Amino acid sequence: MSDLFANLGLGFAVALSLQNLALCFMGCLVGTLIGVLPGVGPIATIAMLLPITFGLDPVGALIMLAGIYYGAQYGGSTTAILVNIPGEATSVVTTLDGHQMARQGRAGIALGIAAIGSFFAGTVATLLIAALGAPLTRLALVFGPAEYFALMVMGLVFAVVLARGSILKAVAMILIGILLASIGTDLETGQDRMTFGFAFLTDGIDFSVLAMGLFGVAEILRNLDQSETRDVVRQRIGRLLPGLTDLRQAAGPVLRGTAIGSILGILPGNGAVLGPFAAYSVEKRLARDPRRFGQGAIEGVAGPESANNAGAQTSFIPLLTLGIPPNAVMALMVGAMTIHGIVPGPGVMTKNPNLFWGMIASMWLGNLMLLVINLPLVGIWVSLLKVPYRLMFPAILMFCAIGIYSINATPTDVMLIGAFGLCGYLLIKFGFEPAPLLLGFVLGRLMEEYLRRALTLSRGDPMVFLERPVSAVLFAVSAVLLVAALMPALRRSRDEVFTEA
Amino acid sequence: MDEPLHGSGHTRIRGPQPLAAGLGLVGLGLLGVWAGSDLPQGSMRAMGPGFLPRWLSVGITLCGLALAASGLLRDGQRLPSIALRGPAVVMLAILAFALTIRPVAVGPLTTPGLGLIVAGPLAILLAGYASPEARFRELVILALFLTAGCMLLFGDLLNLPIPIFPAFVLEALSGSVSPRLLLRAVAAGLGLTGLGLLAIGRGTRRRAVDVVPHSITT
Repeated sequence: MSDLFANLGLGFAVALSLQNLALCFMGCLVGTLIGVLPGVGPIATIAMLLPITFGLDPVGALIMLAGIYYGAQYGGSTTAILVNIPGEATSVVTTLDGHQMARQGRAGIALGIAAIGSFFAGTVATLLIAALGAPLTRLALVFGPAEYFALMVMGLVFAVVLARGSILKAVAMILIGILLASIGTDLETGQDRMTFGFAFLTDGIDFSVLAMGLFGVAEILRNLDQSETRDVVRQRIGRLLPGLTDLRQAAGPVLRGTAIGSILGILPGNGAVLGPFAAYSVEKRLARDPRRFGQGAIEGVAGPESANNAGAQTSFIPLLTLGIPPNAVMALMVGAMTIHGIVPGPGVMTKNPNLFWGMIASMWLGNLMLLVINLPLVGIWVSLLKVPYRLMFPAILMFCAIGIYSINATPTDVMLIGAFGLCGYLLIKFGFEPAPLLLGFVLGRLMEEYLRRALTLSRGDPMVFLERPVSAVLFAVSAVLLVAALMPALRRSRDEVFTEA
Repeated sequence: MDEPLHGSGHTRIRGPQPLAAGLGLVGLGLLGVWAGSDLPQGSMRAMGPGFLPRWLSVGITLCGLALAASGLLRDGQRLPSIALRGPAVVMLAILAFALTIRPVAVGPLTTPGLGLIVAGPLAILLAGYASPEARFRELVILALFLTAGCMLLFGDLLNLPIPIFPAFVLEALSGSVSPRLLLRAVAAGLGLTGLGLLAIGRGTRRRAVDVVPHSITT
């Protein structure tokens, strides 16, 4: 326990340096600024702003990126409440009651409770990360290649189960992701794989190029298709601080949401996305009068928003301790860490304690800053929401182009984001979700490496995955999950969670 | 809509969207199998570079077959309507940016490297027309402000390796003006021009600029 405080002390010493404090603040501000724009989710925001952090030292860069992430997440819920457009999957639920509250002139309260709930959830999640960091890292050290491979398979199975729509399509997306990752020079034999003779493919496909194409450009193309009316709330925002009755009503949901979100966030394979949905269903079940939900019930904002933020943070745990990104945002973080020469995984904590604990401390500071930035600046966010899309997307496009160009200074990368954008657009049109593809892509190389290593160690015997207890359990969990997801009854309830909630 | 589920003899495809998606996956899988066919497979003990790509491609093909079969056997969605204007214009804008930012060899030709100061506005003006609501004046003002902002942010503040000016301009000016000073001066000029245009617009057609702030496409 004293270790924990000593470590947190070190973290705060790092995070409270003037430079890191400023970077954290900048990250939160810029993240919110971009995240608030309708149609720009956290993934696109981080992909777009990644180049800004290149010039910084690794600690500062990651602190800023983490800030951008929370900022974008917060911005997403602001858009959900005020405009009824979820910035990303996890704020879908917030639109239900949040926007209704806004229409009843209680937009301020909705924003306020979302911010307070998120702050509380963020605090708990930060403590959780700090407490679980050390033991999980120790666990990671006893993991062999077989266990790592099994864990990644389980993560991908989770991603399949949690993806919306057809399971078959999600599986295909993951396989394509891994296949794309294997393009380029084979690490072990040095042989070119599937490059079709193109020189720019020998180094493999750059992760940021893929992410920016699939999430930045494809989103633009998709948004251009729809011409919905944007329903910006015209009522006054009203009072921001919730009253005592509101707080009393929201306290339970915040606590439950935090617990649900924290637990789901740790799961590999984008468990965090399920948090808000689960929290909403739980609140609706527990409510004395469930009919209030969808009509502007404050519990329907407090619970999911807390779960959202808790999950967003605890999903750092698998990344920081095991080096396995549980979702697309964390996959971007891996990309960022690699650019700065840090290998994510159990080594980070021992080799770079400054980075590890500094980042954790900055998470809490970032949450505090968001609370302080967001509430007084709501007016600015509202006016940003009125920027017409016809002016927004050329700007986003230009940022993407400059950003991606500045990574490798190659014009082919710029063309590639166009090509991937087009692919992403077609994928969305045909009902494929691009997020599992990205996850498969990031895990692909690692998986192949661990698979090879495990098989070499066992002299080619594939039974090694079932003989080692940990990996056998992980594989069993994956198998059960996959079978369960394919059963018609469970499938229906899975669809319900996503559509009803 | 009532579906003649058990009617025989009709050749209507029941799920065109899954069928098309499935066939697409089959194509991709076969492409993968073909592309990886020259790679050694290796053995279980020492996996070759071709091992994983082959099995992944086979998996993708199988997923595609299953999806296509479900499209034939079960009722599914219709084919999506795919817009042409948006994607085509956005691709054009991206291509224009890529080809003008730096000299690029396209076959025997090499494009002149014009830098951000040309590539940026070009991309914005082109991209703007991806939306049917594009207005030229607005886009010009946006291009001026954004280019100035990006020059300052990426070129000056962050010092990213991105060419700002055409190479021949820098050569002609080499020695006389420092590039950074030039950058700031030009950015200020662009910004002021933008402000000027904005002011003129405000003066002449005050209401016309923001007629529909609320019914905006997203």
